[in-house]
Amino acid sequence: MRIRDLAVETASALDANRGRSLLTILGIVIGITAVISMTALIGGIKQSLIGELGLNQARMVNIYAFVERDITLDDLERLKELMPEYETLVGTGSAGGTAKSEEKSFEATVTGTLPEYFRVMGIKFIEGSSFTDEDQERGNLVAVLDQGAVRKLYGSNDKNVTGRTILLNEVSYQVVGVVESEAGMGDFGTVYLPFSTCAARVSGSWSVGNIIGLATEEADLGTIADTTMAKLTEYFQVPEDTAEDTFFIYTMQSMIDEVNAMMGSFQLIMTAVASVSLLVGGIGIMNMMLTNVTERIREIGLRKALGARRSDITMQFLLEAICLCLAGGIIGIALGYVCAYALAGVAGSSLSTGMGFGGSEIKPVIDMSSVLMATGICVLIGVVFGYYPASRAAKLDPVESLHYQ
Amino acid sequence: MLPVIDIRNVHRIYESEAGYTHALKGVSLQVQRGEFLCIMGPSGSGKSTLMNILGCLDTPTAGTFKLEGVDVSTLDDDELAELRATRLGFVFQSFNLLPRATVLRNVMLPLVYSDCPVREREERAVRALCAVSLPEQYFDHKSNELSGGQMQRVAIARALVNDPAVILADEPTGNLDSATGEMVLRTFRRLRDEGKTIVLITHDPEVANWADRTVHIRDGKLLTDDEERALIAANPTTRSTT
Repeated sequence: MRIRDLAVETASALDANRGRSLLTILGIVIGITAVISMTALIGGIKQSLIGELGLNQARMVNIYAFVERDITLDDLERLKELMPEYETLVGTGSAGGTAKSEEKSFEATVTGTLPEYFRVMGIKFIEGSSFTDEDQERGNLVAVLDQGAVRKLYGSNDKNVTGRTILLNEVSYQVVGVVESEAGMGDFGTVYLPFSTCAARVSGSWSVGNIIGLATEEADLGTIADTTMAKLTEYFQVPEDTAEDTFFIYTMQSMIDEVNAMMGSFQLIMTAVASVSLLVGGIGIMNMMLTNVTERIREIGLRKALGARRSDITMQFLLEAICLCLAGGIIGIALGYVCAYALAGVAGSSLSTGMGFGGSEIKPVIDMSSVLMATGICVLIGVVFGYYPASRAAKLDPVESLHYQ
Repeated sequence: MLPVIDIRNVHRIYESEAGYTHALKGVSLQVQRGEFLCIMGPSGSGKSTLMNILGCLDTPTAGTFKLEGVDVSTLDDDELAELRATRLGFVFQSFNLLPRATVLRNVMLPLVYSDCPVREREERAVRALCAVSLPEQYFDHKSNELSGGQMQRVAIARALVNDPAVILADEPTGNLDSATGEMVLRTFRRLRDEGKTIVLITHDPEVANWADRTVHIRDGKLLTDDEERALIAANPTTRSTT
């Protein structure tokens, strides 16, 4: 029997029992809807959290070193030589100051850092560019503003401000670029200066507060926290037993793992719900197929009399079961997509109020692998729960079947 | 000439919880190509068992059955199915058409199992339907929209579509009124005239009169010539085997 003939026979059989087929696949529809909507929603939440946390820079490592002496830019240079697993290390220093434009003023967060800071942090430039190494060496009076600062200084963040001059603590700085606001910094408004300028003009401290490293592409991100800890302990000559209280190292991988762990238990519950639903759906399919076989005993006898082999009958009933499950799966995937969008709105507001995130929109993530997985599950259910009725049909005696009343 | 059907000393014993039933007891029968044979017998005589064996739906417990020289008793299930698909055509008392399928699809059904190319199927089905004189206007009707006589003609067309070696008809007029039954039997007679081999089972002597030859079966045995002569004497409407 050809595949085309099998498909025609299957379509005709399913069409004859349309109403019953639709009711039978409800369990599969619910199960697949749950799988798809939860997978999409969890993917969306993860991506949203990662976006919020700035975790898209997977190679970024945050280093907090609470040593007794000040850490200087020279220390950073030496640490760079000591730790070749880092492409670069940048330091920051923070302060506050009053920023003014011709129109407005506000109390700004001032971050003194190196030109590479924005690349390492994955912060995108909206206009202009970063200050240069020369600005850093000479302590030039240049600044990069974030969107929050632009909004506070000019009332709107869509103005072209590169090249304009602002006052910071009454000293005038030329704006060389505008960047996106950092995660969690939303509306505070940050002014970025070269580290040397910030130290000399604003904070008065040449000490590096926070070190941010960008691991090389070849670096093992799984062990980089441990190796960094060991090298910092050696470099700053900290007793080994106090190292863990002195250095705090956060890799992006560890933060992603935390998010994954948080979502894992939620996913487990949903998987259990979906599994039960799919099991019930599968039993429903088997029940309907057994009823089908009983109702069509004479037809099976006739087909055998006309030359159908056992394998033809098995394939016909098995394909009917698989098609039923696939139909349920397709409806489930579509419904899952709709549900994911509906739930995303609810989850988005809960996240922003409950977890303090900036309320960025959650967009469900439906990747091809989820759709393929759902399709695979449907085919598997069809095969597992359709095989018994199909083989029962195939084993029927043609003579008895033809005379069945 | 090699007979189309050659059965020698066939026995069929059924085993059940109630015990053994010896349904056929050493039946031997030869049917020549182009012959219209009627197997006649009362209910429980073993004629359906014989028909099932002739139709390769069942296999003998002992004895040999050759269809066009092929020893059927040695074939496995799939080989028997292939034989049914290509060399045999069935006509049943209750028509056994697929009610939700059109006339054309019903007639094309055996071609699905004989690997006939898709493009040839409709042409062959139309030819078979023309051979049983079913008007073209009915080709796209669902089979349950037809009258009994039309349904049986569709069933005969389905039996013909594979150009089988033998058409086996099991009480084909049993569910039809006498006029429609006669029309069906006339169709069989015409097919015989065109060279088809037909084996028909009935308990009705009137039906048997349409065949070239009638054999009688009683208690699982074909009657001998003497037994048959005695039977004909007792029932003059019954024709002789010769």
